[in-house]
Amino acid sequence: MGYTITEKILARAAGLPAVRAGQDIKAKPDFVLAYDFPGYTDVYFKTMKEDFGIERVAEPERFGIFIDHMVPTATAKEEELHINTRTWCAENNVPLFERRGIGHQVACEVGYATPGAFAVHFDGHVSQMGTFGTLAIGLRRNVLEAFVSDTVSLRVPHTVRVNLRGSLRPGVMARDVFHHLVRVLGPSSCRFQVLEIGGPAAASMSTEGLQTITGLAMFTGALTAIVNPDPVRLDYALPRARKKLDPVSSDPDAEYSAVHEIDLSALEPIVVVPPTPADTRDLTEFLGLEIHAGYLGSCASGRLEDMRVAAKILGGRQVKSGVSLHIIPTSQELMAAAAREGLISTLVEAGAFVSSPSCDYCFGRIATMTANQRAVSTGTLNVRGRMGSPDSEIYLCNAAVVAASAIEGRIADPRPYL
Amino acid sequence: MALNPLRGRVAYIFDEVNFDVDQIVGVKNIKITDVEELAKLAMQPYDPDFAAKVKPGDLLVGAGNFGYGHPHYPPMKAMRHLGITGVIAESFSPGYWRGEISMGFPQVSCPGILGFVQRWDELEVDWSTHTIRNVTQGTEIAFEPPPQSDAEMIEAGGLVPYLKRQATEQRQQKGSEHVQGA
Repeated sequence: MGYTITEKILARAAGLPAVRAGQDIKAKPDFVLAYDFPGYTDVYFKTMKEDFGIERVAEPERFGIFIDHMVPTATAKEEELHINTRTWCAENNVPLFERRGIGHQVACEVGYATPGAFAVHFDGHVSQMGTFGTLAIGLRRNVLEAFVSDTVSLRVPHTVRVNLRGSLRPGVMARDVFHHLVRVLGPSSCRFQVLEIGGPAAASMSTEGLQTITGLAMFTGALTAIVNPDPVRLDYALPRARKKLDPVSSDPDAEYSAVHEIDLSALEPIVVVPPTPADTRDLTEFLGLEIHAGYLGSCASGRLEDMRVAAKILGGRQVKSGVSLHIIPTSQELMAAAAREGLISTLVEAGAFVSSPSCDYCFGRIATMTANQRAVSTGTLNVRGRMGSPDSEIYLCNAAVVAASAIEGRIADPRPYL
Repeated sequence: MALNPLRGRVAYIFDEVNFDVDQIVGVKNIKITDVEELAKLAMQPYDPDFAAKVKPGDLLVGAGNFGYGHPHYPPMKAMRHLGITGVIAESFSPGYWRGEISMGFPQVSCPGILGFVQRWDELEVDWSTHTIRNVTQGTEIAFEPPPQSDAEMIEAGGLVPYLKRQATEQRQQKGSEHVQGA
């Protein structure tokens, strides 16, 4: 019986010849990542010193810290948090990525998404590094273990394999693929397991699309998602890689707890209805519902293909009066590329509010909604209060639906615009 | 395993799958940090007299994928303040599970629990045999053993004491290797 990519990566990280799903191990992460956030990084830095007597981390090159939330700051207290983070990184010689974009995307750009590497973070959306064959797991507060010791304790997860075939029709995007997975597999289908994406359509899918799918894995219950790295992904990731590792892939006879086949050609645009990421429905059921805000951005979406489709729809048209459309590229690198393509001018001329990368739109810290307002959003989550008032609503959908809805002031089908 | 058994009544059964625990205190109250205030708000939509009925040691029971969504810590802080000593569910959402285990709060994954209990039944959770006894009904059901590190974290009382214990053990191990080497 062969091994999954996850078992191979964890065997190396645990210093063992082989591990099997279900085995309890201690594995050394190649990379330990975090963004600064109150109650997380500030507590880790303090706890390391006061409870564990650790003044300096032993291998600073294994770490990566991101300042992407509370950017730009709105209070002096937030700036103090950032100063604390900058100081700790400087003292420890740990790489700090500030204002470069949303950390999970930046982590891929700067080489933490090394094929074959094992990475940990507290935030589960780090799973998008799986696009490049990196096993990246969000441990919540338990990531403290990786700050105070070399290893983390975990049980080797089983794997659910999803094979994608066919191709997406116009107006249907990677977001819809993920939401469709939640719909057909269920929101607990991959609990405590790894979601492995493969099949012929995975190889032909854009890297950005795979990042969208893998980055949302947690809503199937998965610990993370991973793709066996193909030549396209290796061409991106290997020149940037921070560590020299051999990429690994699942063996053809690897054991999966379930295998699902998805035909992309059959998919339609989906909206995820509040207040739960589990409620995935056909867009056509909700056409015409009034909206007040649109958000195109986040670690899941907000990349070039999202901005391209939005520009195509919004080009020569106008956002409806009274609708706030925020378009926030996921990283500086992507924003600069969008500017070079002329996408930013098209979006701005259509009336979109385009701003530098920040996580803050996704959780209502800015562009905050009040009671009885409704947004269409490519953000990560639609639970109550996520973008402001607990009595506002978020309908998650793809970038094309956000753009078309912003023009009409109601949930709209993007296909007539394409 | 040296985990103490849990013994208490089923103070409430959340029978909704994918239950979002933030509902326990209400999303609009999720940023409150005062535990007394949280405890007063807890369970209002479910049972307004909950605080008066609950006794120290009591347990909560949940359905499948308990804790799905974007769970925050205040709801279970409030529950612990009211005396709840653990949660038994059909299954758990991983993010919620990790978060509460890191607080040292026992979570028990037990497929079949919903059909095994009624509200206010007296239960006993035996970690050594991985069984739950329904003392009221005189029945028994097996639960899934937690990963070893999670059991150790519950026993230690949470993440930081667990990691401290681990650091001490590693130092002692290194010390003894050093002695042997010399």
